[in-house]
Amino acid sequence: MAARKLQIALYWGAACGGCDVAVLDTNEFILDVAAAADIRFWPIAVDGKYHDLEAMADSELDLALFNGAIRNSENEHVAKLLRQKSKLLVAFGSCAHMGGIPGLANLVTKDEILATAYLSNASIEPGNQTIPQARTAVDGMPLEIPSFYRRVYRLCDVVDVDYFVPGCPPAPDQVKAVLLAVVKGELPPLGSVVGASERALCDDCQRTKSEKMVRHFHRPFEILQDPSRCLLEQGILCMGSATRSGCGVRCPNSNQGCRGCYGPLPGVADHGASFLSALASIVDSKDPKEIDQILAGLPDFISFAYRFGLPASTLQRSYR
Amino acid sequence: MERQRIGVFVCSCGTNIAHHVDVDAVCESVQGMPDVAIASSYRYMCSNPGQEMIARGIQEHQLTRVVIAACSPRMHEKTFRGACKRGGLNPYLCEMANIREQCSWVHSDRLAATEKAKALTSAAIRRVRHHEPLESLTAEMCPNTLVIGGGIAGLTAALELADAAHDVFLVEKTERLGGNLARVDLTAPHLDSARDLLTERITRVRDNPRIKLLLNSELRNLVGYVGNFSATVRTNGASGAHEEKTVDVGNVIVATGYQEFDAGRVTHYGHGKLPNVVTSFEFERMLRTGRIETRDGRLPQYVAIIHCVGSRNKEFHAYCSRVCCMTALKYSHELKSANPSCYVSDIYVDMHAFGKGCEDFYKTTSEVKTLFLMFDKNERPVIRKAAPSDDCDMLIEVNETLSGERIEIPADMVILMVGMEARSDSGEVARLVNISQDRDGWFMESHPKLDPVATTTDGIYIVGTCAAPKDIPDSVAQARAAAARILGKIAKGKIEIDGVFAEVQDERCSGCRMCNELCPYSAIEFNLDTRRSHVIPAACKACGACVAACPSGAIKGRHFTVEQLHAQIEGVLL
Amino acid sequence: MSFEPKIVGFLCNWCSYTGADLAGTSRIQYPPNLRVVRVMCSARIEPTFVLRALAGGADGVLICGCHPGDCHYSEGNYKAMRRFPLLKRLLKDHGVDNDRVRLEWVSASEGQRFADIVTDMTERVRALGPLRIKSDLQTDLVER
Repeated sequence: MAARKLQIALYWGAACGGCDVAVLDTNEFILDVAAAADIRFWPIAVDGKYHDLEAMADSELDLALFNGAIRNSENEHVAKLLRQKSKLLVAFGSCAHMGGIPGLANLVTKDEILATAYLSNASIEPGNQTIPQARTAVDGMPLEIPSFYRRVYRLCDVVDVDYFVPGCPPAPDQVKAVLLAVVKGELPPLGSVVGASERALCDDCQRTKSEKMVRHFHRPFEILQDPSRCLLEQGILCMGSATRSGCGVRCPNSNQGCRGCYGPLPGVADHGASFLSALASIVDSKDPKEIDQILAGLPDFISFAYRFGLPASTLQRSYR
Repeated sequence: MERQRIGVFVCSCGTNIAHHVDVDAVCESVQGMPDVAIASSYRYMCSNPGQEMIARGIQEHQLTRVVIAACSPRMHEKTFRGACKRGGLNPYLCEMANIREQCSWVHSDRLAATEKAKALTSAAIRRVRHHEPLESLTAEMCPNTLVIGGGIAGLTAALELADAAHDVFLVEKTERLGGNLARVDLTAPHLDSARDLLTERITRVRDNPRIKLLLNSELRNLVGYVGNFSATVRTNGASGAHEEKTVDVGNVIVATGYQEFDAGRVTHYGHGKLPNVVTSFEFERMLRTGRIETRDGRLPQYVAIIHCVGSRNKEFHAYCSRVCCMTALKYSHELKSANPSCYVSDIYVDMHAFGKGCEDFYKTTSEVKTLFLMFDKNERPVIRKAAPSDDCDMLIEVNETLSGERIEIPADMVILMVGMEARSDSGEVARLVNISQDRDGWFMESHPKLDPVATTTDGIYIVGTCAAPKDIPDSVAQARAAAARILGKIAKGKIEIDGVFAEVQDERCSGCRMCNELCPYSAIEFNLDTRRSHVIPAACKACGACVAACPSGAIKGRHFTVEQLHAQIEGVLL
Repeated sequence: MSFEPKIVGFLCNWCSYTGADLAGTSRIQYPPNLRVVRVMCSARIEPTFVLRALAGGADGVLICGCHPGDCHYSEGNYKAMRRFPLLKRLLKDHGVDNDRVRLEWVSASEGQRFADIVTDMTERVRALGPLRIKSDLQTDLVER
C-alpha cells in the first residue's frame, strides 16, 4: 500500500527562530521528513500565506508543530487555525510549552514594555512619542496590526494541545524521535510531554554528586570550576535536579548550570518553587542573617527559577 | 480517580462544639459533596456509642473513607483510627477536622464559626479521598547495646543489661572507669564514700564477660537505625597508635556526663591567682588525701565556701547545678570533723535542699556552727588579700541580704562551688548519635516529663548528667530506666515501624543527592551502584523535610502526600 | 459588607498546631479567617503549597513552626527558615505584597501568642484588601 504522505505544518509564535533551526539541525534527516511528508506550511522555510492555511479543510493536516509563545493576537489567531486544521497540535519548544524566555516579560506590565520600546529608548528620534496602535488610519485608509497582549501565554492557554516537546531548543535527536513516532503512529497518551526523560537531568549528568550543603553562590566565571564535580555543590546555580533530562546535558557539559528549559518533572506543580525549596534547603546556615547573606548571592532569583516558564508558574498560569 | 464512599461524622461534643457551630448545618453542607455517602452528627463521637456508630456506619454503608469533624486530632485521632479499625477499615483511611480547639472554642460568632467548620470539614473530605491504606512494618532488634561513658550512670546501665544476659560495649574515653564521681570523697547527704559506691560497680563490670570494656576509646561513627545500628569505636593505644572496630548494636545509651565550670572565668574570685582559692574538685582531692591545708602547709583556721560559681547567673549559666549546695554542707561537716575549731562561712544565694534526706542534712550541718551568709546572685562577694596585720590570709566582703549589711569575713581558704556544664565535646557526640542539645548544650529528651531518658532518635537514650545536672540517685535511676526500656524492646524481639514514612520512588529519583544531608536521622542512604537515594523506613520519623526538598517530586511523604495536601488546601478555601 | 480575608495556615504538628489547640483549650478568641492545614514539621511545607493557596483564593498565608532549637525533628524548622526569605522574594516579584505571607515560631505553650499573630495578620491582610490573582489573569485574548 502506498502510504499517504504525512501533511505537516510548522509555525512560530513569539519566538527567536531557534526551534525552527533545531528542526533543520536534524541535518539529512529533514530530507527524509520531506520525503515522507508534505510540508504544507512553514513560514521560516517554505513559502505560504495565512489564506492558504485558512483554505484547508478541518483536520486536513496530520501534525502541526507550534513553537513560540502567545504574545499578540496574530499568535493566537494562527494557533487557533492550526488547532482547527490539524489532527495533532504539538507545543514545540520551551516557549510554546511553558512561555519560554518571552514569558519573562510577565514580570513587567504592557505599558512598561511599550514605554521602554517606544518612549524611553535611546535610539528614538527626539520628540517622537509614537506607540503603535492596533488600528490606525494611514492616508484615510484603515491599517490594522496585531494587538499586543497584556501578558505572554503558553500555547495551551489558548488552545488544546496534544503533545509537548520541551527544550530551548528541543535537542535534534528528540525532534527526530518525535517525528518518527508520528510517522509510525507510536504516540503516548494525549497531553504527554514527549521527547524528554521522566527523570531529572542529574540522572544523565556524569559529574560526581555527593551530599550537598552550600555556603556561597557563584557565577560560573567567578571561580575555578572542578569539571568533574556537581556544579551546585560548587555553588554554581544549576537547575538540573529540578528539570527533565533529554537535552543531552548540554549546559553542564559546557560548564554552565542547567537553566531548566526542559521544564519540571512529571507531577511537579511548579518548576521554580520546587527548585527554590531544594536550593534553600541546602543553604548551610541556621542563622537568619547569614541565610539572607547567602541568599543575596542569588540576584533576580525569579528570572532564574522561571527562566523558561513564568507563564506556567502557579501564580501566572491562566486557568483555562 | 476511583470513586469513594465517604462517611462524615460530626461531633457536637455536648455543647462544646454545638454552642458555637451549627453541627446540623455542617452535615447538610457536605451531604451533596461528591463521594459523600452519609453525613451524621452525634453528641459525643468519642464515647463508646459514638465509636460504635462509626464502626457500624462503615459496615452498613460500605464506607471506604471516614471523616470525623470533632476535636483536635492530637486529642482523639488514635481513638477514631481504632473505631475505623474495628469497623474493618484501615485506620489511615480516616481524617479529622478540628472544629473544636481551632474553631468553636476560639470563635464566638456562630455564623462565622459554622462557615469555618464547613470549610475544615470539606477540606478533610477532599483530603481523605487521596488517603491510602498503610500497614506498619517490622524489623529485627539486635540485643547488643552500646554504652558511652564509664561514670556511675554508664556503669549502672551496662550492669543492668549485662545482668539480664545481653552483650554490652562500654566505651570510656579515659583510661579509667568512674567518671567525675571518682574524683569525689564522701557523698552528700548520706556521707558514704564515693570510692565504695564505685568499686563494687567497677569490679562487677570488669568481671562480667557480657561487658566488653573499651577504655581510651571513643565513638567515631554510628549508622543505621533502632535495632540495627553499626558503631565504629576507636581505641587509642599507648604509643599513639589506634585501632578501630565496628560493632553491631540495637540501642545506644549516652552517659557522657558533665564537665565542671572553669572557675577562672569568674576573674575577680582570683582562682589561679590567689593560692588559697580552690575549686570544689580541688578541695575533694584534699579530702581524699586527708590533708586539708593551705598552699604553705598550714591548717586553715577560716574557710569560706562560695556557692553558685558559674551557676544561676546570666553571665555564665542561668540554671542551678543541683548538687553543689549539699556538697558545700558536706564540706562544712568534713572541715569541722577534721578541725573542730575551724570557722566555716557558707556564702550562698539560696540553699537548695530538695532531695530526699537533704533538708535533714541542712539542719544537722547548720548545727555545727557554720556561718551562713546570703548574697544576691547578681552581686558577687569580693575577695581580697588581707593586710599583714590581719590574722588571716584573705578578706571577703559580702552584701549580706538577710541583715542588709555589708559584712567582712576572714578566710585562709576559699572553696568555689563550681557548677556543672555540658562537656565541650558534647556537640560532637550529639552529631554522632543524632540527638539535639538545648541552648546550654545538654542533650534533649524526647519529652522532659513523660519520656525523660529517650531522645527524638529511636534507640538513643540519654542518662545521667549529660542531659542536665543531677545527683547520683537520679543518674542511677535514669540508667536503670534506660536499661529497662531497652530490655523491653529486646524481649519483644522485633520493632514495629509506623506505616507513615517517606519513600523514594525509585523510577523518579535522579540521584541528585539533594536530600541526603537534610535528614536529621540519617535515614536517607545513597546507593553508589544504582545512583539512587533510598529511605530506611525504620529510621524515618516522617517529618517530610526531604519530601518538600526533592526537586523531582520523587519522594513521597506517606499520609502527607502532595495530592492530599493540595486537596486540603483547595478544601479550606471553599 | 466589609472584606473578610481568607488566610491559610500551615502549622507543624508538635509546636504550633499544639499551640493553636492550647489557644482553644484556653478559650482565647481570634478572628475566624484562618484555615489550618496540619503538617508534621514546618520542613514539610513546600513553597508550592503557599503558591497553591494564594492562587486558589487565599489572601494570605501563615506558616508556623517550632522555635529555632526546639524542633521536634531537631532541625526541620531551619529548612523552613531558609526557604521562606527566598519564597518571599519570589512572591514580591510575582507582585504579592510580603505582608500577605508570614513565618512565625509558635511553641506548644504559646496559645496567646498564636492568637495574637492570627489577629494581627488578619488585620494586616484585611487592610491590604483581596489578592486578585485569578482576576488579574483575565485574559486579553481577542478570540474568546
